[in-house]
Amino acid sequence: MTTRRDFIQTLGATGAALAGLSACGGSKSGSGGGTPVQPPIPVPSAPILVVVNIDGGYDWLNILPPNAGANLGVYQSKRANLGILDSAQMSDLGGGVGLNIDLTGMDALNAQGRVAWIPGIGMPNPNLSHFTAGDIWGQGSATPGGTGWLGRFADTAFNPTGDVLRGLTVTSDLPLMLKGANRSFLSISSAGGYVFPAYLFSGNTMPDAALIESGWGTALSAASTDPGYLAAAQAGKLFYDAQNNPAFGAGGSLLARTPSVLYPGDAGYPVTRLDTGTLNGGLSRQFKLIAQMIAAGLPSQVYFSRLGGWDTHSNQAVDHPNLQRALGGSIKAFYDDLASITTTSGIAQDRVMIMTYSEFGRRVQENNGGTDHGTASLSFCVGKAVKGGLYGSYPDLANLDGNGNMRFTTDFRSLYATVLERWLGQPAATTNSLLGSTYGRLNFL
Amino acid sequence: MANLSAISTWTLADVQHFARRAGFGLNPTDAAALQIQAPGTAIDAWIDGTGPVYDPTAFTAALATADVVTESQVNASTTDPGAVNVAAVPGPHAFLVDTANAWRNNLNTAQAYLAWRMQHNPHAFEERMVLFWHNLFATGWHKVNNAALMLKQIQLFRSQGLGRFDDLLVAVSKDPAMCIWLDSVLNNAPGTSIPNENYAREAMELYSLGADNGYSQADITQLALALSGWSFTLAEADYVPNPASPSQRTVADGHFRVYDGSAIAPDTRAWYGGTRTTLQNMHRTGTISLFGQTLDITTTANGWAKGENALRSIVTVKGANCAKFLAERLLIHFVTAAFTTQDRDDVATMIQASGFDLRVVLKTLLKSQYFFDSAHRFALAEGPVSWTVRAARMLCPPLTVAAGQTPKGYPAWRLVTNNATTFDQMGMKLLDAGGPNGWKEHTGWLNSNNMRYRTKAAAALALAETRSSNGTTYALFPTSVTADWFPTAPASTQAVYDRLVALLQPGPIPTAVGTAWLAALWPTSFVWDAASQTKARELAFLILCSPAGQLY
Repeated sequence: MTTRRDFIQTLGATGAALAGLSACGGSKSGSGGGTPVQPPIPVPSAPILVVVNIDGGYDWLNILPPNAGANLGVYQSKRANLGILDSAQMSDLGGGVGLNIDLTGMDALNAQGRVAWIPGIGMPNPNLSHFTAGDIWGQGSATPGGTGWLGRFADTAFNPTGDVLRGLTVTSDLPLMLKGANRSFLSISSAGGYVFPAYLFSGNTMPDAALIESGWGTALSAASTDPGYLAAAQAGKLFYDAQNNPAFGAGGSLLARTPSVLYPGDAGYPVTRLDTGTLNGGLSRQFKLIAQMIAAGLPSQVYFSRLGGWDTHSNQAVDHPNLQRALGGSIKAFYDDLASITTTSGIAQDRVMIMTYSEFGRRVQENNGGTDHGTASLSFCVGKAVKGGLYGSYPDLANLDGNGNMRFTTDFRSLYATVLERWLGQPAATTNSLLGSTYGRLNFL
Repeated sequence: MANLSAISTWTLADVQHFARRAGFGLNPTDAAALQIQAPGTAIDAWIDGTGPVYDPTAFTAALATADVVTESQVNASTTDPGAVNVAAVPGPHAFLVDTANAWRNNLNTAQAYLAWRMQHNPHAFEERMVLFWHNLFATGWHKVNNAALMLKQIQLFRSQGLGRFDDLLVAVSKDPAMCIWLDSVLNNAPGTSIPNENYAREAMELYSLGADNGYSQADITQLALALSGWSFTLAEADYVPNPASPSQRTVADGHFRVYDGSAIAPDTRAWYGGTRTTLQNMHRTGTISLFGQTLDITTTANGWAKGENALRSIVTVKGANCAKFLAERLLIHFVTAAFTTQDRDDVATMIQASGFDLRVVLKTLLKSQYFFDSAHRFALAEGPVSWTVRAARMLCPPLTVAAGQTPKGYPAWRLVTNNATTFDQMGMKLLDAGGPNGWKEHTGWLNSNNMRYRTKAAAALALAETRSSNGTTYALFPTSVTADWFPTAPASTQAVYDRLVALLQPGPIPTAVGTAWLAALWPTSFVWDAASQTKARELAFLILCSPAGQLY
C-alpha cells in the first residue's frame, strides 16, 4: 500500500508539483494589514536564503491553532488551559486553521500573500530529543552521514578555494546543518573589529598577520590528518581570509548602517512582552547584522540565524506569546527593512527568502503549565517570490501516535529539495543527490 | 581494545600529557619534579590532592585578595525605604560571590572567580573535574538567574564529583540550580495531573544513559511522576536583600524538599521566596512502572527522598547502558574522540566493576596504558576555558609570587570575562550553558568565530594588553618576559622558541612554520634586549594562535 509519505518521497526528480499537498495553497484570507494579496515576483537572479532556527521545539499548534472542523474539538479538549480558543486572538488562514496574532506582523505579511505555511512537517521515525532531532533536521539526508544539507550544498556549489563568505552564520557556533565534507560556513557574530588584535595595527613592528597565516595556511598544506589540527587550521584560515574582504573597512568593521525600521528590542518598538517590558532582541540583532552585511556588499548567499527559548515545558502562557512576538516581529521588521537596501543585484527585499524550521512541535496534550516534546513541526517561508498559503496537510489531531504526538504530513526534505532547486538554483539531479533521495517539491516557489 | 593496566614508569612528556589533561598543565620545572615520583603514587596524590604540593593553605588565603578590579559603588534606590549606598570596594579584594553578596548576582564575577581558582588551585584536578561535570550536567545562569546557586552547584561537583555516580546523579537532581534549570520546581503532578517531563527526559538522555539508550518515552513519563514535587525551600538567612534596594532579594542557598503538602519548617519560604507554612502538594503518590519494574514512589527507605528509588534505578537497572554513556563522556574529555566501540566497552566494564566509584574510575583511566598511548597525545582540541587558564598558568607569575606583588600579579579575570575576550565568544560561556546538552568538545570547540576570539585572547595573554575600569588601567594578564618566561637569558632565537614551546606545549608545529616565524621576527642577528623580548611575546602569540596551539 502506498502511503502519503511514500507518495511524497517518491515523486519524480523533475520537481513535480505536489498538487495534493497544496490543496490549501492560495488561501490568503488573513485579516491583518490593509495590503491586498500581491502576486509573487519571479525568483531573483541572485537569491539569498536566510534560515531561521526556531530552537527548542516550538509549540506551533498554538501559533496555527485549529479554528474549525474536527481538529478543533480535540484541541479544545487537550488544551483546556493553554489553547488559543478566542477568535479575536487569531486571523483565519482558511481550511480550519487560524494564525495567532501574537506572531507579530505575520498576519500582515500573510495577507499580502508573502508567507507559505507548511504545518505537519517532519520525518518518519521522529525523535523527541532536541539534539537528535536537530541533528536529523541539520543533516537533511535520506541516509544521514554526519554532514549538513547546506554544508553539502557548499561542497557542491562553492569554489573549493574561494567563496569564503558565500555561506555564513551569524551565530557564534557552527551548526551541523552548515558543515560539509570539505567546506564549512563562516561564523561571524558581530560586525565590529573583525580583524586581528589591535596590537598588530598599532605601530608594532611585528610582520603583521602574514605570520599568523603561516600558522594556518601553511598548516593546511602540511600533511596532517589530525582532525583537531585540521579543524583549527580550517577555522583559522576561514577567519583570516574573510577579514581580508574589502567590505571590512578600517578597523575591520562593516560599513555602519541604521535600520530603516524599528525591530523588537528597540526603544519605541510598539509591541511589548505580554508581561510588560521589552521583547527579546536576539533575533533582531542577528537580522540587523545580516541586513548590514547585505548592505555592505558581502557576497553571501546563505545566512543562518537562531532564536532559542522555545522549550516551553512550563510557564508557556507567558513565555510563548513573548517568543512569538519576538519571532514574528523580527521577521516582519527584517522584511520591511530589506526594502531600503539596494544592492548591485537589486533591492534586497526582492532577493531574500526567509525559511524557518524547528526540530519538532510539542505534545498535543498540555501538562500542568506547559507542553512537552512532540513530533511534527511547522516551517514557513517568507519572501516576495513566495506563493503564499498553506502547503501540505494539517495533522489529524484525532489520529495521534502512541505517545500522543502528531503524525507528520510533509517530509522535511521536501522543503529542502524545493529550496535547493527552486531558490538556490541547483539542478534537480544535484538536488536529489544532495539529499540522498528524491523528495517531492512544494509549490510555494 | 583499551589496555587499562597501569603504567609503571613515565617520561617527562608523559607527565606533561597527564598534567594537561588532568589539570591545566605543568611548567617544565614542576613537571620534572613530578616525574621523579612513581606514576601510580603521583597520580593518586594528584587526584586525591594529598601531600604538601597540593596544600590549599596559601591558595585559600590568597582568595581574600584575588580580585584585583575595583568594584563600583552601587547607588541607593531613591524609592526603596531603607536603601543605602553600597560603597565601592577598592581592589584587590575577595571575589564578591559569597552569601552576603548574592544580591549582586554577577555572572562575570562568578566566571572570574572560577577562572582564578582554575589558574591557582594547587589541586588542579579538582577544578578539572568541575569543568568536566559542568559540561555534563550543563546548567545555565540565564534561566537560573542566580550566580550564588550556580556556584553552589559547582561546589557540589567538588564535593561529590569523585564519589559514586549514582550519588552524584541524585545530588545534582536535588540541586537548586538544576531544579530551576529543568523545571523540577514546576513539575506538579498530584492526582491525575500531567507531569512536566523536562528533567526526567534529560536526566536519562543527557546525564546518565544517552539518547535512545535503554529507555522509552513511557519511562520518561514515569520518571517524571517519580520526581514530581522535587524542589527546595529557603530559610530567612538564605533570602538576601540588596542593601541598595532592600525590596529586591536574591536566593543565596536552598534546601532540597519534596513538595508533598507537609510542613515547610524548619524553613519558612518556598523556592521562589514566598512565605509558607506548608509545602504545596505536587508529588504523585502510588507506584510507577519504570524499566519494567514497579516502584513505590510514596514511601521511602534508606533515607532516600520520595521517588529517589526511581532515579537510582537508572544505575542499578540500566547499569550497562549508564556505564557506556559515562565511558564515552570520560573518553572524549580525557583521552580521545577516536575511541573504538571496544575501547568504550572496556572502559564501561571497568566502570561497572568499580561500582560506579568515580575516584576508582578516574584513577584507573588516568594511570592506564591506554591513556598514555602516544596516539592520544595532542589528539584533542582544547576547550577555551582550559586553553586560556593553561596559558595563564604558564605565562603569569605563580601564586606564591603573585600574592606578594604590588599590585597583585593576578590576571584581571573579571575584565577578561566581562569585556575583553569573553569565554562566551570563544565558545564556552562558563556557568551559562546555552542548553542542557552543554558544549560539544574536541573539534566542536573550533569554528572561524571562535578562532577569531582566540586570537584576541592570545593577544591578551601574550602581548601585555591592558584594559581600563573605574579609572584604573589593569594588565589583563600581568606577565614578565624576563622574570616569568625566561629567568635564564636565551642565547639564540631557537632557544627562545624552544623555551616558549616548553611552556605553552602546543602540538607539533611544522618545522617550516617555526623557521618562518623566527626568520621574520629576527631577520638579522639576535641579542636578548628589550626588542627581542617584545619579539618573544609575539612568538608566544603566534604559538597560541597556531593550529597546533589549540591541541592538548
